[in-house]
Amino acid sequence: MAVIVDTETDAPSGSPAPPRVPTWTLIAFALGGLVLLGIAAVAIAWQEEPPAIRPAWGGSVLDPAPDRPATDLIDTDGAPFDLRRATAGQLTLVFFGYTNCPDICSVQMATLKQSLDRVEVPAKVVFVTTDPARDTPERLRSWLDSFDPAFTGLTGSEAAIARAQRDMGVTVAVADEVEKDGAYTVGHSSAVYVFTTDDRAHLAYPAGTRQELWTNDLPRIANEAAWQPAS
Amino acid sequence: MTWWCSATRELWSWTPRAYPGIWLAVAILVGSYLVATRRHARHHMLTGEDRRKWIWFGLGVAVLWGATDWPIGALGAGYLASVHMLQYLLYTLVAAPLLMLGTPEWMVRPIVRRLKIHGALRTLARPIVAGVGFNLVLIATHAPWTVDTFRTSQFGSMALDLVWLASGFLLWIPLVSPLPELRHPSPAVRCVYLFLASGAIPMLPGGILTFASFPLYRIYELAPRVWDLSADSDQQLAGILMKVGNIPIVWSVIFVIFVKWATSERDERLDASAHRRDTEGAAPIAG
Repeated sequence: MAVIVDTETDAPSGSPAPPRVPTWTLIAFALGGLVLLGIAAVAIAWQEEPPAIRPAWGGSVLDPAPDRPATDLIDTDGAPFDLRRATAGQLTLVFFGYTNCPDICSVQMATLKQSLDRVEVPAKVVFVTTDPARDTPERLRSWLDSFDPAFTGLTGSEAAIARAQRDMGVTVAVADEVEKDGAYTVGHSSAVYVFTTDDRAHLAYPAGTRQELWTNDLPRIANEAAWQPAS
Repeated sequence: MTWWCSATRELWSWTPRAYPGIWLAVAILVGSYLVATRRHARHHMLTGEDRRKWIWFGLGVAVLWGATDWPIGALGAGYLASVHMLQYLLYTLVAAPLLMLGTPEWMVRPIVRRLKIHGALRTLARPIVAGVGFNLVLIATHAPWTVDTFRTSQFGSMALDLVWLASGFLLWIPLVSPLPELRHPSPAVRCVYLFLASGAIPMLPGGILTFASFPLYRIYELAPRVWDLSADSDQQLAGILMKVGNIPIVWSVIFVIFVKWATSERDERLDASAHRRDTEGAAPIAG
């Protein structure tokens, strides 16, 4: 028996129509399904990881932990700044970078700012330039103020900055070749070094550390019994 | 070589940047349309309706290009979650329906017939299927893993853009399909469908973005900042856009559907009463 096919729609002509489910019923079922899917999605997104698989710290544990170094640097007011004396006994986050950095430095500073705004932890942020030729105290201050006026900026001679890095066990920054337009980049350590109240750097947080990690770790760092000053 | 917008981790610059892959894609789209139109014009007269469709298609291409190319494409690919959301809205709520409105039936039907996909399209055109499909794609393409994975490569970024466009076509099939039999006949169903599928349901993921405790997308959280917009504020803005960015378009379309529906009902009533007057007022033929 020949089947007449509607060439426009490719459907056989005269075939019986399938039974119809009321449209509102279908809409209700679909809506209910979507609501359940949404609830499941929210539940999964908000689910905390079981403590067993949460890493101890978001950063790397430094062992041995370097001591808070004495530095021969100046702050953005031009005043001498000795890191050991000025921040003794304080939770201090130290970062080596430069204001013309194309990526990492501004991201680290922005992340630190947002993270510190979330936690009630008295932490000091110290930014040490690795490009003293271009990062004058004024430029450094202006750049840091775009993140937080409370951030401390330090500069000094190349030798003093290199010494501070070596004393902390940080790879000394090296300026790359100057391009035709006078621009150049500086290869530098991208980690934030955390000096705890016992004046030692127990942790280093790499570039790409997210706010959630900082927010989880900072209160714990501040209260970590093993890293309190010896009484 | 940079041919499509993707995340680069470089500082943002307002110096325009070339993405030749995007230009090529737009050229192929426009070129195909023009070739098909010329072929059709050799054997058929082009109507005023065809010419009007050129305008819709042109607008759709312009929006698609603007949403894909620098600066919106570059910002959305690697810097700001809010611009990523703006891109998504432009693709799904503006470019997709304009392109469909601008595509004539005679251009689409031979392709559908040749590929034998009419049955599949009929299924996809059912409001339930289209609405669920659209929202599944919305959730899948906005999941942090998806965004953080796909936006870091040019191929991945292009794939994400294409999936968005396809989901936009899916959303609008029941309303403005070039094939009339795929458009849902009931204006009421069309209004409810559009409201639910693109207005109400997306509020859920929008709310997640707005009220999340931390930035969800690594790529945008760790991108160099633009306009001093913090990662938190940027994400909240993205969530707000997802929740309410569709309102002007969705409600405008619902309004147009409603007005057309009311007008056609009124016209039907007027025609019916005029017909009654004609039949009642006709004088009997003298015997």
